[in-house]
Amino acid sequence: MKLRARHIAGVALMASALVLTSVGARADEAVDGMHDSHQPRAAAVTASSVQYVTPDLTLTRQDGKQVSLLKEMDDGRPVVLNFIFTTCGSICPLMSQVFGQFQHKLGPDGAHVHLMSISIDPEEDTPPRLREYAQRFGAGPGWQHYTGTLAASQAAQRAFGVYRGDKMSHAPVTLLRMAPGQRWLRLEGFVTPDELLQNYRQLLAAK
Amino acid sequence: MTMGARARWFCGLALITACAWSAVPPTQPETLGEAIYRHGALPGGEPIRGERAAGMYVEGNTAACVNCHRRSGLGMQEGHLTIPPVAGSYLFHPRAGTIDDLDLPFVPGMRADRDPYTDASLAQAIRDGIGMGGKPLDVLMPRFKLDDAQMAALIAYLKQLSPGAVPGVTDSVLHFATIFTPDSDPVARQGVLDVLNRFFEDKNHYTRAESPRMRSSRRMMFKVNRHWELHVWQLSGAPDTWEAQLRAKLQAQPVFAVISGLGGHTWAPVQRFCEAQQLPCLFPNVDLPVDAESNFETVYFSRGVLLEAELMAHALLAMPDKATERKLVQVYRDGDVGPDAAARLRATLNGHAWHVISETIPAAASASALRATLARVGPCDALVLWLRPQDIAALGPLPADVKVVYMSGRMGGLDQAPLPTAWRHLTHMAYPFDLPEHRVVQVDYPLGWFRLRQIPVVAQQVQADTYLACIILSDTLNHMVDTFVRDYLIERIEEMLEHRILTGYYPHLALAPNQRFASKGGYLAHFAEGTGTRVVADGDWIAP
Repeated sequence: MKLRARHIAGVALMASALVLTSVGARADEAVDGMHDSHQPRAAAVTASSVQYVTPDLTLTRQDGKQVSLLKEMDDGRPVVLNFIFTTCGSICPLMSQVFGQFQHKLGPDGAHVHLMSISIDPEEDTPPRLREYAQRFGAGPGWQHYTGTLAASQAAQRAFGVYRGDKMSHAPVTLLRMAPGQRWLRLEGFVTPDELLQNYRQLLAAK
Repeated sequence: MTMGARARWFCGLALITACAWSAVPPTQPETLGEAIYRHGALPGGEPIRGERAAGMYVEGNTAACVNCHRRSGLGMQEGHLTIPPVAGSYLFHPRAGTIDDLDLPFVPGMRADRDPYTDASLAQAIRDGIGMGGKPLDVLMPRFKLDDAQMAALIAYLKQLSPGAVPGVTDSVLHFATIFTPDSDPVARQGVLDVLNRFFEDKNHYTRAESPRMRSSRRMMFKVNRHWELHVWQLSGAPDTWEAQLRAKLQAQPVFAVISGLGGHTWAPVQRFCEAQQLPCLFPNVDLPVDAESNFETVYFSRGVLLEAELMAHALLAMPDKATERKLVQVYRDGDVGPDAAARLRATLNGHAWHVISETIPAAASASALRATLARVGPCDALVLWLRPQDIAALGPLPADVKVVYMSGRMGGLDQAPLPTAWRHLTHMAYPFDLPEHRVVQVDYPLGWFRLRQIPVVAQQVQADTYLACIILSDTLNHMVDTFVRDYLIERIEEMLEHRILTGYYPHLALAPNQRFASKGGYLAHFAEGTGTRVVADGDWIAP
């Protein structure tokens, strides 16, 4: 079973498993048979603070350039990171739409935040496919997509505790870090753009 | 229900011998329900729109039900998520104690302990995201504002998705076909058949020996009861007659899926037939697959010579800039896959500073015609050979003023290619497989299996691929339990393939919805010595 692979790499280093956001289904919706409020339900998101060591890997950016993951992440800007693949029809489109909306909501701050999406299907996701995907979700200049060798993608997934053995077993995880060397905020579940923004601003204020 | 689906249903249901199968035209007008389900399209092509929490939404193709619930309507598992089946019988069945009490094939997301949906409550679920019993549906499920007519069409479509009798599946037998085109290599054909026949024999032997006949558990039914039967569909004549031949064969003997087989210069009519009949075609051995976006039914191990052309283009385009246009000459025989491979290389180089010249050798011409062609090639920056071993062996002297040579490994015989010594220091081979030293352990497994069963190895890579195709089919069917739905077979292969440890000639196999080529890359390689079969890679694995 896939369960065995659902380890969280950073779990030993996790200082606290604080739930920063708790936007689960409103109780009335879950139990009330009337439920005429037509608001779509939001999902519960759990947050934790984790220390990861960024591996020194070479990835290929959507513009075709070979880049160092370490240098891309440590370019001085806060980083928001997720893992996707372009032929994913279920959870990736939602995650990418959230990134797009988040970037939009940042407004002029957008250029100061580095959004990074790393493909977990790198052999299929060539730079042209990544460019097409990025365009589909309205990615602005601050949002980069990355591919590379299968080994490099898997190493990146392992380093951030999202490797599940195969791409069809992936889970929605979003990671935020304010500056190199700092801990990451790990958000598990479907975070909304507003929650992501709220978490980003809290971290920014605490910086 | 589409005409195709209806025809399939009747054929299996009542074993009507006069079933009008062959009368089914290859394409069916799509119903509104199907257009919504598969393409997220309303009449006039207007996209459907689904709302999610926090202003998130999906539209058109990305909003189509098929993305998550799949073509079969049987759902899927993705990470922690289980996307439930929506095929009608899984929504409208009466409440039951356990899933074993349901008279429905097992799928992971099925529920027993729920009151049946009605058309009205299902419409509410789709519109408002409220499921049976008043519970909100999962956050991933969008809410769709469909009008009454659109909703009725969608619900009608879901109802007909329900698994029913499937042609080629009886209580005791699973029928499969394998397809050989008349131009396929006769030696390799025997090699493929030996592997298939022996695999089926073993499968049936173990199936019977494994356990007594019992039906106490739904999960045991397939393993206990069903005998695998292979039907060899040998085609003859011209390619434009193959589809009619195949329809007649399918009508005479319905099969659940097509497994392996061997092609020659084209597989296109076979792929068209499988698509039209909604018949899975699993890993046929072909040098030239059909690289078409509309293909659902046929899955291949790789893009064959088309991939080789892209590997070559990758190397050619990596050459340092030059002030003047470069010249490339491609040599191939008419009537083989070379013309298509050459066209792909030309297309990939289009827009770059390469002048591409094609030299066609008539299909029946002697080796001297090939040598005469090579003698007048003249100075060129790259010479590309889309040739079979007998031509490779007869190349003759290396033409003067050729800077680099590329050859097709698949066509030329890979490590065994009889490339003359004089050509070796300049020649690079497209090698869309794992390297010999990496695959030795992987390939040792099928080779040991052949040895034990005294199967002559006449076409090692093709026979190893055939064995791998059989193993993938067998493993997938085990996981499908008794849910014999053709679309579901393909969907489960898509989901499961990446888990495989044994991947034969390929370093890594993976599929996904809309991915039909499991191995995506290859090497460029060269012979290490002037003689012998040792091949070494020029560089890393390339996924162009």
